[in-house]
Amino acid sequence: MVDVGSLALLFWWVLAIYGIGTSPFGSYVRRRDFVASGENATLAVWGMVLVATAALLHGLVTSDFSLKYVAHYSSSTLPLQYKVAALWGGQAGSLLFWLVILTSMAAIVVLQNRERNRELMPYVTATLLVISLFFLSMVNFITPPFERLAFVPQEGRDLNPLLQNYWMTIHPPSLYVGFVGCSVPFAFAMAALATGRLDDVWIRTTRRWTLLAWFFLSLGNLFGAEWAYLVLGWGGYWAWDPVENAAFMPWLTCTAFLHSVMIQEKKNMLKVWNMVLVILTFLLTIFGTFLTRSGVISSVHSFTQSGLGPFFMSFLLVAAAAAFGLMFWRLRLLRSENELDSLLSRETAFLLNNLILVGICFAVFWGTVFPVVSEWVRGVKITVGPPFFNQVNAPLGLILLFLTGLGPVIAWRRATWSNLQRNVLRPMLFGVGVGAVLFVAGMRRGYAIVSFALCGVVLATISMEFFRGVRARQAMVGESAPTALVRLIGKNRRRYGGYIIHIGVVMMFLAFTGTSAFKQERQITVNPGDSFEIGNYSLRYDGVEEADSEHIAYLRANVAVFQGGELVETLQPEKRFYKKPEQPTTEVAIRSTLGADLYLVLGSFDQPTQMATIIAYINPLVGFLFWGGMVLVFGTFVTIWPQRATATAPAGAYSPGRNTVPAD
Amino acid sequence: MTRSLAACALAAVLAAPAWTPIARADAPSFSEIEESLTCQCGCGLTVHSCNHLQCPSAIPLRAEIREQLALAKTKDGILEHFREKYGEKILSAPTTSGFNLIAWVLPFLAVGLGGVLIVIVVRGWVARRRVRAASESAPAPGQAVAGADAYQKVLERELRELDG
Repeated sequence: MVDVGSLALLFWWVLAIYGIGTSPFGSYVRRRDFVASGENATLAVWGMVLVATAALLHGLVTSDFSLKYVAHYSSSTLPLQYKVAALWGGQAGSLLFWLVILTSMAAIVVLQNRERNRELMPYVTATLLVISLFFLSMVNFITPPFERLAFVPQEGRDLNPLLQNYWMTIHPPSLYVGFVGCSVPFAFAMAALATGRLDDVWIRTTRRWTLLAWFFLSLGNLFGAEWAYLVLGWGGYWAWDPVENAAFMPWLTCTAFLHSVMIQEKKNMLKVWNMVLVILTFLLTIFGTFLTRSGVISSVHSFTQSGLGPFFMSFLLVAAAAAFGLMFWRLRLLRSENELDSLLSRETAFLLNNLILVGICFAVFWGTVFPVVSEWVRGVKITVGPPFFNQVNAPLGLILLFLTGLGPVIAWRRATWSNLQRNVLRPMLFGVGVGAVLFVAGMRRGYAIVSFALCGVVLATISMEFFRGVRARQAMVGESAPTALVRLIGKNRRRYGGYIIHIGVVMMFLAFTGTSAFKQERQITVNPGDSFEIGNYSLRYDGVEEADSEHIAYLRANVAVFQGGELVETLQPEKRFYKKPEQPTTEVAIRSTLGADLYLVLGSFDQPTQMATIIAYINPLVGFLFWGGMVLVFGTFVTIWPQRATATAPAGAYSPGRNTVPAD
Repeated sequence: MTRSLAACALAAVLAAPAWTPIARADAPSFSEIEESLTCQCGCGLTVHSCNHLQCPSAIPLRAEIREQLALAKTKDGILEHFREKYGEKILSAPTTSGFNLIAWVLPFLAVGLGGVLIVIVVRGWVARRRVRAASESAPAPGQAVAGADAYQKVLERELRELDG
C-alpha cells in the first residue's frame, strides 16, 4: 500500500507537468483534444493523490511504524480520530492533505466547466496544476511522506498532545479548505488575465468559490480560537501569534474582495483593485504557510516548523512576480471608465470598508514581520506581541464596525440628506442611547462604550432593513410577518444573508469587547475544603482525584461552584500527562452562560499537602464568539444557497462551447 | 434634520468623558507589568498569560517584577530595568521611540494616506460623471443656434416696442 502511494505521487508529478503544458498549448493552437487531455490529466492527478492519501491513512490507522511519518506522529494507543488527524499533524502529511484538497477542488472545477468558460479553462487548470506541482515537488523530493525507517520501532512517538483535541481535528481542515479555496478565484483571475477576458464572467463564476473559501477561513479562525481557549489554558482565545495572524490576513483581504466585487458587478468598476485583492489573498495563503513552516518568526505553532521556508518563499516571490506581471501587462484592458454620482454613496462606504480591512491586514502583516525588519535594520531582536496588535487594531476595528452599520443603508450612487435621515439617524440615536445608558450605569471604559454603542448602531440598521422589507411585503402581498420574513430572505438571499453575517460579526465584537475590557482573574493556592470568590461565584476546592489510561495519566481537581449559596455545578480542571511524548497539558473546565464563562485552570498541585493552585477567570460575553460564529455560518448558507435562476449571461459571451454563467 | 444631527453630535460630546482614562495611582499594577513583558519560554505569550507548569521564564520574571514593584519604581522605570537586563525582546510591544516608532505609525499613516487617496480618486470620478452629464444635457449645436436666434428675435422685438 505504501509503495503504491509513493509511486502514485511520482506518477502524479509527471502527470501534473503534462497537464500544465497541454491545456494552454491546446488553447493556443485551438486544439480542443489537447485542452481536454490537460483537463483529464487534472482528474488523473486527483485520482493519484487520493490513492497516496489513502495509503498514508492506512499506514496511520494500522500503526505501520516502518513509515517514518507514522512513527513520528502516531502511536498504537492513539485514539482513532487522532490517528486520522495525524495526517495533518506533521509536515509531509499536512502537505499531502493540502494537495488532496487542492486537487479535489481542481477536479470539481474541471467537471463543473466541461461545457462553459471554455476559453478560460485551459489556463485555470494550468494555474491549479502549477500550484499542485509546487506542493507535489515538496512531497516527492523534499519531505516525502512515505520514507521508510531502516529500523522499525516497536512504538511510535505519538501525536503532539496539544493536537489531541477535538477542535484540532476540525481546525486545520477548515483552514486548509479556506486557504486552498482561495486558489480557485486566483486561477480564474490568472486565466482572465491570460486570455484578456476581463469582464465580470470570471468573477460571477467564482463567486461561490470565493464565498466558500471565505466561509472556511472564517470557520478555521473560529475553530482555532476555540482550540486556543480550551487547550492553551491562558484564559484567552487569540494571542496574535504569527501563525494566527497568517490565517487572519487572507480572511481580511478575502472579506474586502467580497465587498468590492459588488461594485464591479453593479458598475463595472474597480477591476484593477479586485484583481489586486484576489492576487493578494492567494499570496497571503502561501505567506501564511511559509510563516508556519519556516520558523522565521517564533510561534506557538512551532511543531510545524521545518526547513521548507526557502522553498515557500521562492514560490511566493515567483507567484507574486507572475501574477502582478500579468496584471500590469493587461492593465490597459482592466482600466474602466469609473464614474460616481456623489462622494456620499454606498460605493464610497464600500471603498472605505476596503481601506480599513486592508489597513488592518497591513497592520497585522507589519506587526508580524517587524521583529525581522528590526533585526535586519538595527540588529536588535524585539517582540511584537498582543499589546501592539490590540492597540493598533482596536480603533481600526471600531471604524470597520461603524462602516458595517453605515454601508448597507446608504444609497447606491448618491445618498441625499433625506436618505441619510431616513436610514442612518435613528440607528445613530439608538447607538448613542446605548452608550449613554452604559455610561449612566457606571461603565467607564471608553473603548467598551464606543464598541457597544456601535454594535447598537449596526443592529439597529439591520433590524430596520428587515422591518421595512417585511412591512413592504405585508403591504404588497398581505403575508403574515413570519412568512414575509422568510420570503423576504428567500427572494434576496445575497442581501439578507449578508445582513445575517453582519449580525454574527456584531456578536463577535460583543465577545471581543466583553473579554478585553471586563475580564476578571484570580489565582489562588488552596487546601482541600477552602473556598474563594470570583465574580458572583463562590468556589470550593474539594481535592484532586487521579486517573490513568494506557495513553494518559490525569489529575482532576474537584471544584464545587456555588451561586447565591446554591451548588450549581462541579467543575474538574485537569492536568494531563501524556506518556509517550512525556508532556503535561492543561484541560480547562468551563461553566458557560450567555453572560459569561467561568473558566478554571489547575495551575499546580502538591501531592503531599494536596494543595492546589487554581486560576479562575470570568470571561464576560465570550459565548457570543461561538454563537456569533454560528450566526455567521447560517448567514453564509443563506447567501451561498442556490437561488432560482433569473438571468443568464449574454449568449456567446465566450466561445467555443456553451458559455452560460451560473445565476447568482 | 439639522437639529437631530446636532443632538447626535451633542450626545457624542457628552459621552466624550468616557474616553478619558480612569484616574489611577502612579504605581503600576503587577498584572500591568506582566502584560508588558514577554515570556521567554517559547510560548509566545506575555508573562501574565503564560501558564506553563514550573515555567523557567515566567516564574522568575514574576518574582523579579515583585522586587521591582517593591522599589516603588514607575512603570517606565521597571520596564527599563527589564530591557537593560534581558534586551528589547523582553518587552511585549515595541518602544515608542527611534526606529520602533515606525512600527506604531506606519499602519495609521497607511490608512490615512489610503483615505486621502480614496477621497481624491472618488472626487475625480464624481467630476467625470458631472462632465459627462453636462455634455449629455447640453443642447446640440443646431439647437443652440436656434435657441440663440429665438432669443435675439425676442430681444429685437422688445427693443422696437421700447423705442416705439
